[in-house]
Amino acid sequence: MVQFFSDVLIRTVDLALIAVGLSCVYSLIRFPNIALVQYAVAGSFLALLLQGAGLPLPVAGLLACLLVGGLAVLLNVTVFERLLASGSAIAMVGSLAVTMILSAVFLVVFGPDSRRFDLDSHPVIRVLDARLTVHQLTAVGLTAGAVIVLALLLFRTTLGRSMRATATNRVLAAATGIDARLITNTVVFLSGVLAALGGIGLALKGEMNIQLGMDVLLPVFAAAILGGLGNALGAVAGAVIIATAETLVTNVNLGPLVGEPLLFLPASYATAMSFLILVAALLVRPHGLFVNEVKRV
Amino acid sequence: MIDVSNVRAGYGDGADILNGISLHAAGGEIVTILGPNGCGKSTLLKCIAGFLAPRAGTVAIDGEDVGAVPVHRKVRGYGVGFVPQTDNVFATLSVSENIRLGARHLPRAEREGRFDALMRQYPTLAAKQNRKASALSGGERQILSLVRALIAGPKILLLDEPSAGLSPLMMHEVFDAIAGIRDDTGMCIVMVEQNAFEALGIADRAYVLTLGTVAMEGRARDLLADPSMRELYLGGSVAG
Ligand SMILES: Nc1ncnc2c1ncn2[C@@H]1O[C@H](COP(=O)(O)OP(=O)(O)O)[C@@H](O)[C@H]1O
Ligand SMILES: [Mg+2]
Repeated sequence: MVQFFSDVLIRTVDLALIAVGLSCVYSLIRFPNIALVQYAVAGSFLALLLQGAGLPLPVAGLLACLLVGGLAVLLNVTVFERLLASGSAIAMVGSLAVTMILSAVFLVVFGPDSRRFDLDSHPVIRVLDARLTVHQLTAVGLTAGAVIVLALLLFRTTLGRSMRATATNRVLAAATGIDARLITNTVVFLSGVLAALGGIGLALKGEMNIQLGMDVLLPVFAAAILGGLGNALGAVAGAVIIATAETLVTNVNLGPLVGEPLLFLPASYATAMSFLILVAALLVRPHGLFVNEVKRV
Repeated sequence: MIDVSNVRAGYGDGADILNGISLHAAGGEIVTILGPNGCGKSTLLKCIAGFLAPRAGTVAIDGEDVGAVPVHRKVRGYGVGFVPQTDNVFATLSVSENIRLGARHLPRAEREGRFDALMRQYPTLAAKQNRKASALSGGERQILSLVRALIAGPKILLLDEPSAGLSPLMMHEVFDAIAGIRDDTGMCIVMVEQNAFEALGIADRAYVLTLGTVAMEGRARDLLADPSMRELYLGGSVAG
C-alpha cells in the first residue's frame, strides 16, 4: 500500500510542474502551448551539458531553467504572439509545429540515445514499506518547493496579484496601470522555468531522452485540463488524479478476477486510462473539476 | 484638463466610429456624454483613456498630446482613472485585492493609508473586503470599480455608464458618490450615461452624440430645459 502511494507520488512529480506551467501560461495566452513539453526536454539536456562543462548539478540545473525561461519568452515574442493575433487555434497548431521542430533540433544536437546525469550513486531509502532513491526524493522536494513558491508568488505578492488580475481581465488590468504584455511574458518565462525544472526532475529519477517530452504530453495535458486550464494549483490536483489512475491500472493485480495468480495490465494501458478519465471529466465538467464560479455577464 | 479635438477613430480597419469629435473637460466638473446606443460614447471614452489611438485629431491632457500613450502608462503618468462599462472588476480576486491593485505603484504605507480611508468612506465594501469580487451585487461592483480607480488618486476619472443595470436607489447612491468625489477633490470627471436626466442632474456640462458626432453640447441645466432633449429622450424617438 505504501509502495502504491509512493508510485503515485513519483508519477505525480513527473507530470505536475509541466502541467502547472501549461496551466499558468494558458491563463494569459489562452491557448495550450504544446511546446512546453519540449521545454522540459531542453531543460534536462541543457542541465546535462552544463554539468558536463564542469558546473555542479544544482548550478547547472538552475542555469538551465533560466535559459529555458528565456527561450520560452523568445519563442513567445517571435512566434506565438504573432500567431495569436490570428486566433488561439492557429497559435495551438503553431505550438505543435514548434514542438516538432524542437524534436528535430534535439535529435541533431543531443542524439537519440538515453543519457544520465553524472550522479555518484543511487542510494535507496526505505520510507515505511516503500523504496525510493535519494534522487526520486530530490525530485519530489523540488516539485513541492516549486509549487509552494509559485503559490506564494501568486497569492502573496503584488506581482502575483497582477498576474491573476491580468489573467482574469486584461482590459481592466491595463486600465489599472498594469503592463499586460510585460506580465504575460513574465508568466511565459515562469512557465519555461517550471517545465525545465519538471524535465530535470524527470531526468534525475532515471534517464533522459529526447522522446521524454512526447511521452508525457498526453498525461500532462490531461492533468492540466482536469485541473481546469488556467488554474495553476488545480493542475497539481489533476496530476495526482492522473497519476493515481495510471498507477491503479498498472499496479493492481487483476489475477484473482480471472482465476490466475498474477495478471497485470501492460504499462501502455496507463495512457488509455488517463484518457478515459479526461473524456469522462470533460463530459461532466468541461471547465475542469474545480470550477464552481459562474461567469456573470 | 482634457482637450479632444476633431478626433476620428475606429476599430481595426473598420470605418470611423468617431467622425471628428471635439470635447473639453476641466478640473472640478462632471462632463456627461449622452446619446443613443452605439453612437460611439464608449469609443470616445476608450480613445481618451488610450485603448484606441485616434486616426486623426488630438487627445491632450493638460496641453500635452497623449493620443499615442497606451492605457497602462496613462494611469501613473497622467493620473487617469478608468471604469469600463462592463467587466469592471477582477472577478476572481477578493474585494481588497481589487482595490489594492489600483495603488500597486504606491509605497505600502501610502497605499494602506488610502485603503483604510476609502474603507471608512464606503462601509458596504469594507464589510465584504475578503469576499471575491464575483460575489458582489451589480451596485457593489460599480462602487468597487470606482474605489479601485480612486485609490490611485487620479486627476481625471473616466466612467462608462456607472449606473448601468442598477436599481433606481443604487443609481442615486452611485451618482451621489460621484458628485461627492467632484466636490471633495476637484477631479475632472467624464461620465458616459444612458440615464440622461439623472446624469444631467449631477453634471455640470454635457455632450449629446449621434453617429459619432456631437449633436448638442452645453450646460447641464440648459440641456435639461431644452425641449429637443425632452423629445430625444422622452418622446417617441429611439434613444437606446
Ligand atoms: N471592440 C470593438 N470592435 C469593433 N467595433 C466596435 C468595438 N466596440 C464597439 N464597436 C462598434 O462601435 C460602435 C460604437 O460603439 P460604442 O462606442 O460602444 O457605443 P456606445 O457606447 O455609444 O453604445 C458600434 O457600432 C459598435 O458596434
Ligand atoms: Mg457604451
